Amino acid sequence: MANKDPVKVGVLYSQTGVTSAIESSQRLGTLLAIEEINDNGGIDGREIVAIEYDAASDPYQFRNLAERLVAIDNVNVIFGCYMSSTRKAVMPIVEKYNRILFYATLYEGFEFSNNIIYTGAAPNQNSVQLADFMMSMFGGQVYLVGSDYIYPYESNRIMSDLVHQRPGGSIVAQRYVPLNAGPKDFESIVAEIKECQPDFIFSTVVGDATQHFYNAYADAGLDPKLMPIGSLTTSEVEVAQMGAAVAAGHFTAAPYFASIDSAENHRVLQRFRTRFGDQIRPNACWEAAYFQVHLFANAMRGAGTDSVPVLMPEILGSEFLAPQGRVRVEPANHHTHLYPRIGRVNAKGEFAIVRASRNAVVPDPYLVTHSLGDWTLALETLQE
Amino acid sequence: MVKPKTSTRSSMRVVREAPQILRDLRSLRVCVFHPRDQDGQGLTRQLERIGCQVQAFWPPLPDLPEGTDVVFLALSPDMLGADYAWRQNEDAPPVIAVIAYENPTLIEAVLRLGAIATVASPVRSFGLLSVLVLARDWHSTVRKQQKRIAQLESKLLGARQIAEAQDILCTQHGISKEEAYRVIREQAMQKRVTAEEIARSIINANEILGVKKLRS
Repeated sequence: MANKDPVKVGVLYSQTGVTSAIESSQRLGTLLAIEEINDNGGIDGREIVAIEYDAASDPYQFRNLAERLVAIDNVNVIFGCYMSSTRKAVMPIVEKYNRILFYATLYEGFEFSNNIIYTGAAPNQNSVQLADFMMSMFGGQVYLVGSDYIYPYESNRIMSDLVHQRPGGSIVAQRYVPLNAGPKDFESIVAEIKECQPDFIFSTVVGDATQHFYNAYADAGLDPKLMPIGSLTTSEVEVAQMGAAVAAGHFTAAPYFASIDSAENHRVLQRFRTRFGDQIRPNACWEAAYFQVHLFANAMRGAGTDSVPVLMPEILGSEFLAPQGRVRVEPANHHTHLYPRIGRVNAKGEFAIVRASRNAVVPDPYLVTHSLGDWTLALETLQE
Repeated sequence: MVKPKTSTRSSMRVVREAPQILRDLRSLRVCVFHPRDQDGQGLTRQLERIGCQVQAFWPPLPDLPEGTDVVFLALSPDMLGADYAWRQNEDAPPVIAVIAYENPTLIEAVLRLGAIATVASPVRSFGLLSVLVLARDWHSTVRKQQKRIAQLESKLLGARQIAEAQDILCTQHGISKEEAYRVIREQAMQKRVTAEEIARSIINANEILGVKKLRS
């Protein structure tokens, strides 16, 4: 007799707190994929049911709610987390109960868990490409600014390494702001940038603080044509928060931009806008949150169950035609083969893709020393 | 089932006394700097189970409690820049870092702290005892070696100074090297100081006299 019971999955993103804007987009990307699968008959006739909590951008809440999801709601799979601190809080739970966390966010690497699938970019899939591009276009005098937590520290370490590989390259200054930084926190930073005139600024400011930084930059009359901001964390969501006029001319490296011109991307965007409107902007974290649900559903079709010992081998090595291209879960490290791209914000607040990788880049989360000019990472020029 | 190998030789089991470092565990004064969360409580409780005398604080104190034998320090990412003055102390006890991340930024901080071992967060009870013992053993070995190296360096310097003093006596008094050494030894015994100190006096005197000679 076929099992027609619904499949419960946990969805754990923040709808409040400092990173709620980007996490809300991840949540909707997840729900979009779940609806899409259910509309097509579910997983072998079984409906996916999302059990959701608002984790409020707080590691303790993430930990407690993850434990609630596995111990009380009895889910085997959780989709969620954005900041590394929240992933670190959930990791012991999924390891203790042997469940799976799908993590759809770029992060600093140096982690592997038997119980986590990482679908966002590792540093070798975005940092190297951004450093290469920004230095070749603007020069090697770099100003680093980031939110005060582990991801910016490690991203800045990698960026510094890459900058020092370039003859004459140097880090002009390195500044950190609190996670809940407001406009005032960026006044002295922008003044310092104006004073020391770097070739470009590398920003790993995350969440709501991002708009305050770009606003302060614009208010100071700085010109993105001469001294742009390059970022890994400024997505379509943050651009919408600050407005197109402020964001235009700045750069971001990511495996996905909503502006990708592919049939699959158009189809998914169309469906998303029909269902959820255009309040929430599709972005790289949204796309990873979307495609990882499909990776799960396909693996479960193969396994016939969401029991972790049977499901995990089906996930590893699996592929999916995502909006960014065909992605694959690397069995050796549980991270995902992705397509690095560089986008420049245009006057409409969309990312014009100026460079793109023709092939998916193999994730290498334990790479200590990245190399500039690695030909395997060379991007194709789409726009000058 | 695998049959146990029969051996004609009777096996010898030597009963050894527990090494001092293990017997010391019950009197060990452990200082834990860790937030009072599940992990911090787990760490403290396991140390107490082992029988150590544990004192836990957060945030870290500027000075260690008197007589601390070993320190566990949570190296949380927001405290990587912190400066621990007590680390500069020559007799600072060994530090075991508790880490939740394993990226180069954090490992660099572990090295900078001079931690002798790490414990991964979430802390498991199993493994803590061996880390504690090995870290203390290694710390005391390094300490002994440092002391020994300092002694050897000073001995080596002394030998060089005696040789130099012998040369001075040889040229100034036209005596043999053996004779010069005998003179140094005799002086040392008379004045109840070491031969090295006599050698240093001869070298110093020679430098001063040498300068005088040049001027005259």
